[in-house]
Amino acid sequence: MRDVAIIGVGMIPFGRRDQDSLIDMLAYASMKALDDAHLGDKAVDAVYVANMGGGILQHQTGIASALVDRLSLLPAAADLVENGPASGASAIKNGVQAIASGYSDVVLVAGGEKMREVTGWRATDFVATLTHPESEYPYGITLPGMAGMFTRLYMEQHGLTAEALVAVAIKNQEMGALNPYAHVEMMITKEGIFDSPHSVVNNPLVADPLRLYDACPVSDGAAAVLMCPLEMARELTEKQPVVVAGFGQATDTHTLQERDDPTDLKAVRLAAQQAFDRAKLKPSDVDVAELHDAFTVLEIAESEHVGFFGKGEGSKAALAGLTRFGGKIPINVSGGLKARGHPVGATGVAQVVEITWQLRHELPKERQVKNAKVGLTVNFGGFGNNVLAFVLRRAS
Amino acid sequence: MSNLQITGYKCKHCGRIHYPRHEQCLQCHGREFESIAPEGNATLLAYTQIFNLPWGFDERFLIIGVAQFGNGIKSMGQIKAESLDQLHTGMQLRPVWEPVRYVYGEPVYGLKLEPMG
Repeated sequence: MRDVAIIGVGMIPFGRRDQDSLIDMLAYASMKALDDAHLGDKAVDAVYVANMGGGILQHQTGIASALVDRLSLLPAAADLVENGPASGASAIKNGVQAIASGYSDVVLVAGGEKMREVTGWRATDFVATLTHPESEYPYGITLPGMAGMFTRLYMEQHGLTAEALVAVAIKNQEMGALNPYAHVEMMITKEGIFDSPHSVVNNPLVADPLRLYDACPVSDGAAAVLMCPLEMARELTEKQPVVVAGFGQATDTHTLQERDDPTDLKAVRLAAQQAFDRAKLKPSDVDVAELHDAFTVLEIAESEHVGFFGKGEGSKAALAGLTRFGGKIPINVSGGLKARGHPVGATGVAQVVEITWQLRHELPKERQVKNAKVGLTVNFGGFGNNVLAFVLRRAS
Repeated sequence: MSNLQITGYKCKHCGRIHYPRHEQCLQCHGREFESIAPEGNATLLAYTQIFNLPWGFDERFLIIGVAQFGNGIKSMGQIKAESLDQLHTGMQLRPVWEPVRYVYGEPVYGLKLEPMG
């Protein structure tokens, strides 16, 4: 199998983008990735598009065909990949496999979602279609509701505290305020969302015990990466290549109720283990990570399940600042889903874009992890029922 | 959306109880199951109160939880409580069959759970 390198990345600012269609956003991010690689007129063999909700929210299907036409990349192969909120990482995985196997040489992956053109009521319902259609969805359960149940169990069984969740929220919004691509560029204080008597107004319950500032926003956005065999990277571009050193993917039961231990994110654990094994690296080798913090609790739980901390230690690490920029293992220096936003199909791609910038040492110093060589991403689908992890490495 | 029946599936090989249905046992991959109905009261395993409801619900909030029946079936249901102060994990709940949502004005019956005592 061939080693795969990322040679171009692009992203558009996440947020509310009323002026752009879904295809507009995918096209803008794709052009940025192509331009970033200075690919010129070299052919793109295949395009993988990550999107979860175009069929429901935009009443549009055939999105990959529409994008490849819009980009005039014909006759490149084009496929849509739908894997819920993990669609982005799934699309990248498909691209990596196509290149590694020798079926394709130059692959573009674009992920995007347009969620703000429907009401919050509709957007919540759209995301809830991930739940089991007979045993969960009809009861009105939502993804925040799933996360609320998970959080209470984690508090009861693994020492998670509300203060630790607040520490993650503050950290990620602080970093988001430094990220021009972030949906939420607003710093928050512990006084405002936790200590003050007014905090119950500023930070109301969403799904007990989770509050407003524990949750990511509903966003529009898109991101893209361009990949090729590592052996071709130096010919195609002068950009510093970033190697996809390993990926992993694992699934778990559709419903939380059928897991022997609902606080064990088995798919996260297995996906990360696979990725580390394939990369021949270990958690302590990671310099910077982008974890799927759709809810603050997930950043803490994932930091334990990927092996950065022992079970029950993630809370303490967050409170001690170990996961902050400049800490032992900086997590979500982009602001994460919490501040960058979570246009579901775009998220897994955006995580890889962010880590690529980190490993190329291209970010401004207030967000650049010094001398970063290895990065990890975790993209979490459903409520942990389909998870992908990537270990990325700066090419020597 | 039709009324929500709860049928558990007990693996005839290893005894593991499944809900919802699988074609193969999650534990031993056996393919033969005995259909079983929920029996007795249920023990509360997890719960939350949701304030941002999806399309189709007019309530101010919903309290939703996962509970395990006496014969091992685990199911999600709506909990008939006014506040989470009435709840704790491990408590007993009485199952009732009531509308859990309305679709085009028609009730959809499903599992509701009443705190006991």
